[in-house]
Amino acid sequence: MIDFSHVTKAYPNGDVVLDDVNFSVSPGEFVIITGASGAGKTTLGRLLIRDLIPTKGKIVIDGEDLSKIKTKNIPLIRRKIGFIFQDYKIIPDKTVGENISLSLEIGGYTSKKIPEKISSLLELVGIPKKENLFPGQLSGGEVQRAAIARAIACDSPILFADEPTGNLDKETSIEIFNLLQKINSVGTTVIMATHDVTLIDLSSARRLRLEKGKIISDTEKKPTKSTEQPGTTTVIPAKAGIHQDDTIKTRHSNSSLRGAKRRGNLTPSTKKSS
Amino acid sequence: MNSALKNIRRTPFQALSAVFVVSITLYVVGIFTLVTLASHSILLNFETKPQIIAYLKDGHTTDQVAGLISTLTSTQGVKNASYISKQDALELYKKSVGNDPVLLGTVTDWGIVTADILPASVEITASNPKSFQTIASILEKSEVVSETPAGKKEIDFPQDVISELTKWTNAIRMAGFLLIIALTIVCILTIMIIISMKISSRRIEIGTLKLLGAQNFYIIKPYITESVIYGLVGALFGWVMTYITLLYSTPFLAPRLSGVIPFPVRLEIVLGLLLALLVFGLVLSFVSSLFATARFVKRSK
Repeated sequence: MIDFSHVTKAYPNGDVVLDDVNFSVSPGEFVIITGASGAGKTTLGRLLIRDLIPTKGKIVIDGEDLSKIKTKNIPLIRRKIGFIFQDYKIIPDKTVGENISLSLEIGGYTSKKIPEKISSLLELVGIPKKENLFPGQLSGGEVQRAAIARAIACDSPILFADEPTGNLDKETSIEIFNLLQKINSVGTTVIMATHDVTLIDLSSARRLRLEKGKIISDTEKKPTKSTEQPGTTTVIPAKAGIHQDDTIKTRHSNSSLRGAKRRGNLTPSTKKSS
Repeated sequence: MNSALKNIRRTPFQALSAVFVVSITLYVVGIFTLVTLASHSILLNFETKPQIIAYLKDGHTTDQVAGLISTLTSTQGVKNASYISKQDALELYKKSVGNDPVLLGTVTDWGIVTADILPASVEITASNPKSFQTIASILEKSEVVSETPAGKKEIDFPQDVISELTKWTNAIRMAGFLLIIALTIVCILTIMIIISMKISSRRIEIGTLKLLGAQNFYIIKPYITESVIYGLVGALFGWVMTYITLLYSTPFLAPRLSGVIPFPVRLEIVLGLLLALLVFGLVLSFVSSLFATARFVKRSK
């Protein structure tokens, strides 16, 4: 699905941010990219959405070489990737609903379907009925959830989360991480860039470690601290929003959930029944 | 549309200045359109009247007149040449003076005005004022045209009036045209600056939209809509101001232009002007916003 082949990115001032990076991500995979600040995590995400062009190498998404893609087709590639920005990029003078609505409009949703979809998305990310509030009226965690709702609004097959817990406390970070795992469990490929040690330690997902622009380790799934059943993803318990019994099966074992998600009616109650 | 209206509500003074400039521009366009139409009617009125009258000697023969008319009508630039007999001249005279007994000579010692004292004539209408010179030379050479005691041919030749009128009309048209061009440029620049400022102030939001996968057209659409709203509202105000000016000037113009331009001005012309101004406002605002957004599109990745 995603293939980075000998990708190097150097800025005009000569700084080499990524140096001969090679990795592939399969559909439905959950990948955590770790590394210190300045290791190149954000640059990697920006390359993925063609916000930057690699100096050398090739990035292929769904068989399309990003360096050969026509300018007019860049938005189409970006619609395939839901992006959770480190600084949220939630527009402050628009309500939560309007922010999500922008993404839905871009994705081609009709104005009739948008309110219904927004409600289901907000319920999914754990901030129901907050569509009429402005970002300034929400807590940091709630804004992050709104950003996630916007990123997954158009059912993009890939989700890139750039430091999604960077500004949050430990409990909220775990909640957000659980939410990302829940999104992954219905078939969305999730790539999370983080330096949050708590999450890295608790997670069983594949980890790519970046250091000074190079991948220094690429681990496959490691055993987690909690019990894990084959074919399932463990969701870490958290205070609010998602609980232990919200654990949902992976896409391999529950395709109906994918369909539910695509239709935009994946709510906590739906998941419990599954 | 909602985004465009929200943008306008957020910056009411910018919107007001844009609408004001468009209104003034289209008001000037409206006034000069009416002036051009009026001057065209005035010129047409002059041109459809006989432009050259050559008075004939008494005792001329029918053959001589027919020969002259034939020569004239075969000349390029002559639209019409017709013979006015003494009797016809009397009828025209009576028609022009109405029932005035003094001018008809019925209450004076001069006696009643009769056909005998009026000269027969040939009236010529030219299709092009440039042909006046050729017509004049034909008439100068003709033996049938009468002469003054000083030996000068008796020809009424209002070329100077028409050429003067044409000169003034052209000057007014040119001045109006230049003024409209200047105001149009000011208008385009004003809208461009306003839209560019708005795009610039929302560049972070625009950047986010682009990263979310928005096409350029989706991003620039609200700005183009906003600009078009300025154009259409400005055109409407411009038309209202033009119409008010027309209504106020009607009592002054109507007696002076009676018989040349019918007053009040016909509804079709007023509505046609509204349509023309709306189209002009639409094009003006659309072009301005395209210029403004083209810079953004060029810069954006």
